[in-house]
Amino acid sequence: MKKNIFRSGKIIYLAIYLLIMIFPLYWIVITSLKPQKEIFSFPLKYWPEHMTLDNYIHIFKISKFHIYIGNSLLVSIVSALIVLVIATLSAYVMARFTFRGHKQIMMAFIATQMLPGFVALAPLYLMMSSMNLINNRMSLILMYTVTLIPFTTIMLRGFFQRIPASLEEAAMIDGCSRWSALLRIIIPVMLPGIASSFIFAFVQNWNELFLAVMFIDNDSLKTLPVAMNSFILKFDVDWGAMSAGAVLSIIPTVLIFAFAQKFIVEGLTQGAEKG
Amino acid sequence: MRLKKMKAITLLLSAVLTVGLIAGCGGKQASDKVTIRMIESLTSPKRTELIQAMLDKFQEDNPNIKVELISPPFDQADNKIRTMLGSKEEIDILEVRDLNVAEFVNNGYIEPLDAYTDKWSDFATVSAVSKSVGTVGGKMYFLPNGLYQRQMFYRADWFKEKGLNPPTTWEELYETAKKLTDPSKNRFGFSFRGGAGSNGTTDSMILAYNGDKVNLEDSMFTKDGATIYSTPEAKAAMELYLKLYKDASPPDSINWGFQEQVQAFTSGVTAILLQDPDVIQSLQEKMEEGTWATAPLQTGPTGKALFAAGGAGWGMSSKSKHKEEAWKLIEYLSSPEVNTKFSKDYGLIPLHTTATEDEFFKTGPYKTLIDMSDKPDTFVNYKPAFEYPGNGQWGQVAMETGQALLLNKATLDETLKKWDSYWVEQKANLKQ
Amino acid sequence: MNNRKIILTGLIPALLLVLVFTYYPFLRGIIMAFQEYKLFNLSNVHFIGIDNFKNAFQDPKFIMALQNSAYWVFCSLILQFLLGLTLALMLKRKFRGRGIYQGLVFYSWALSGFLIGMIWKWMFNSQIGVINDLLLRIGLIHQRIGFLSEQKWAMMSVIIANVWYGVAFFAIMLLAALQSVPSELYEAAEMDGAGGVRRLWNITLPYIKPTIISTLMLRAIWIFNDPSLIYGLTNGGPAGSTHILSSLMLEHIIYGGDYGAASAIGIIMIVILLLYTIFFLSVTKAEKAGEF
Repeated sequence: MKKNIFRSGKIIYLAIYLLIMIFPLYWIVITSLKPQKEIFSFPLKYWPEHMTLDNYIHIFKISKFHIYIGNSLLVSIVSALIVLVIATLSAYVMARFTFRGHKQIMMAFIATQMLPGFVALAPLYLMMSSMNLINNRMSLILMYTVTLIPFTTIMLRGFFQRIPASLEEAAMIDGCSRWSALLRIIIPVMLPGIASSFIFAFVQNWNELFLAVMFIDNDSLKTLPVAMNSFILKFDVDWGAMSAGAVLSIIPTVLIFAFAQKFIVEGLTQGAEKG
Repeated sequence: MRLKKMKAITLLLSAVLTVGLIAGCGGKQASDKVTIRMIESLTSPKRTELIQAMLDKFQEDNPNIKVELISPPFDQADNKIRTMLGSKEEIDILEVRDLNVAEFVNNGYIEPLDAYTDKWSDFATVSAVSKSVGTVGGKMYFLPNGLYQRQMFYRADWFKEKGLNPPTTWEELYETAKKLTDPSKNRFGFSFRGGAGSNGTTDSMILAYNGDKVNLEDSMFTKDGATIYSTPEAKAAMELYLKLYKDASPPDSINWGFQEQVQAFTSGVTAILLQDPDVIQSLQEKMEEGTWATAPLQTGPTGKALFAAGGAGWGMSSKSKHKEEAWKLIEYLSSPEVNTKFSKDYGLIPLHTTATEDEFFKTGPYKTLIDMSDKPDTFVNYKPAFEYPGNGQWGQVAMETGQALLLNKATLDETLKKWDSYWVEQKANLKQ
Repeated sequence: MNNRKIILTGLIPALLLVLVFTYYPFLRGIIMAFQEYKLFNLSNVHFIGIDNFKNAFQDPKFIMALQNSAYWVFCSLILQFLLGLTLALMLKRKFRGRGIYQGLVFYSWALSGFLIGMIWKWMFNSQIGVINDLLLRIGLIHQRIGFLSEQKWAMMSVIIANVWYGVAFFAIMLLAALQSVPSELYEAAEMDGAGGVRRLWNITLPYIKPTIISTLMLRAIWIFNDPSLIYGLTNGGPAGSTHILSSLMLEHIIYGGDYGAASAIGIIMIVILLLYTIFFLSVTKAEKAGEF
């Protein structure tokens, strides 16, 4: 009896929670499928009276949305991969070795998480400008990579610590070098952890707005968040375009997340297993 | 098996890295062409499309000039322009706004255009207002790509329903708006704007109430040299302003900027909107024909309404390495033919006086603006305080103190005192 | 290859990049806090001592943002944590469709703060917003509420959007930790006859405490530092009543071009975070919380 009450309570809770989480997404999708006039007319329609793809056609017509999507994919993926390579190395060293300055370096990584990034915006702009990287996607790849190195290092270090050192030592006795032991033995074991780090990095890059506005000039190099920001007009937010753009820009991350969430939880579970 | 997989992943990784590096480095090409870089400020995707079309045509006619258009999101555009100018990134043409022209001149970012306009045959027909908008300290720094001028938009169908006429004075506007307000039906008389740009309403009310007292050349001050906020007329105007908010506007309009203000009008919440002509397109898109119409600005107790034209336009960076080519482009964009087309397409008052002869501006929503300019005794043109560097911050100051007033956190006298001292200080700074 | 070489090869790329592109520009930025540094007037950049800090503390907007920051971090954090923990507990045991369910409720974490701000701005809209419409239809309210424009509602609305954004992150982290609790511990407790609440209190929570602590700490810092949701939602309005320190700093940069004032706020933020971290770590006695 008590168990049943508990069970139905749980189902109700989960159902309400699902509703609250899904509704904003539903509403933005519905808005994106309404014709302009219906978006602004009373009473509000919870299902479009005349369903249309006009808003989607519109954003491809007024802006190079496919190009922005391509740029965002390029910048996000390339940077996430570089982060993985660099952070795997540093995390491995931080997990497996003790040396002078170890603690200070760890602190230096952790402290970056506290820095309010906008303080560095103007100096960064000048640096990028003197390196001739303004209006070049390399500037975004570089800065996204740098921003994510500390967190990814800290996260991956946790994963490394949970893998017994005996595993690679055995491989090294068999004649593997340390790097190839890392590559062949340790990393495959850590794949869930690496995957969640990758997704985390990808999502952060995919969403970044302020640096992308500052560093990129040409339309053909812009990323999605900048394009979304452009729908805030002088007189109103172009809600039709905004909702259609939001749906398009949400799709990749939501898809990745829906498919990979099992992986992520698994990876983090692995990471959380402490002795 | 596992090894193979790893190898494949490594290969893929390095492939992606290489592609990324190559793609990242693209974009620079060698040629004899001169490249002009041009940045806009009042960006919208639609407007960018119009500008790009003009640039395409220009490049077709001038195969040796390549134009790169930079269109940052409107909300961050001015900041980006400032940052680029401050860090000496290459910019040849920039969109200068009436709001920040003094700032750019002070920093030496922009070049006076007088030497170029002297040799320009079409300069003769550039309207006096356009010239005055682009001029600081006697020198012309930008050629407006169109002018903005406030007028009234109203719901013709609601007015008809209630048998109302468009109000001609501020007092009437209040009475009319009150009659149209019915919170239970979510209808309000006035599209109030208490957020960004709130000074558009407060300043024009205070100017109208001060009427003849205002020094038209130095419009934040009266002919006696006091600020316009220090007079009893200013207080009377602001009392009406408070009533307008409390009795005839949606409560949350205290935070509305132009976006919310216009949206409330287009979605049938408010009946009266005071705005510039570039909303016309938005209204045409979102509202049924015949539901709205335009009327002139409201006058104060003395029967006068003071109005100013604002605008943004093309200026030349003082560090441009291709000034001749840059001017060529500005001249092209400002030519009667190209500018008039742009004004029509985007909804602005054109740069040249000849263009107002066009049928397009003599009918429909633009007609009111032409009518207003035909009655210079009632609708008096003044020069906004754009020459004061502090003018750029004024909107922010007026908004914050104005909101505190509407929220009863400050009294009317305190608020007017703050505004008064802000401009007294600006005057003192300017004299130094 | 000796260890020294390995350590150097492993660390140099990461360290070099972080030093050059994070710490160096940051230090340059800090200097600006002691300068008059306005993009309006770059020809007149000079040192002015601590004037920027003085100005900050004399600015009512700053004081309001300071209070709001505390309110914003505390409320968002507690609600995100409690809702996230409850959700994680309910998802701990496998049931049919759990994978799909998780996919449907966890996605919010993958969106950008700016976009979430825009989406909620659209829903909170007092005229054509769906939330007002729903509340009116249900009959809970009879007049539209200006969720984002009335001061008494604005801060609450902003926090609701932020909680919606952040619950998923907590749920994911806590779910992962919960699933790593060895089942033997529960079996033993069950043999002792411990009830559900006692099991939660005596076994589950102590076991996942390190995760709770590090997640709380990290999230607090992020919530405190990230202005993007507020930028999208209210941009600090009405009358600065929803500004937190980071969004106020952003405003100084984007609309004021005043890097001196912005950097001063940035330094004040770092001091607050340092105090918070020291306090938090000493209260929870978790020196190892750095190891998330």
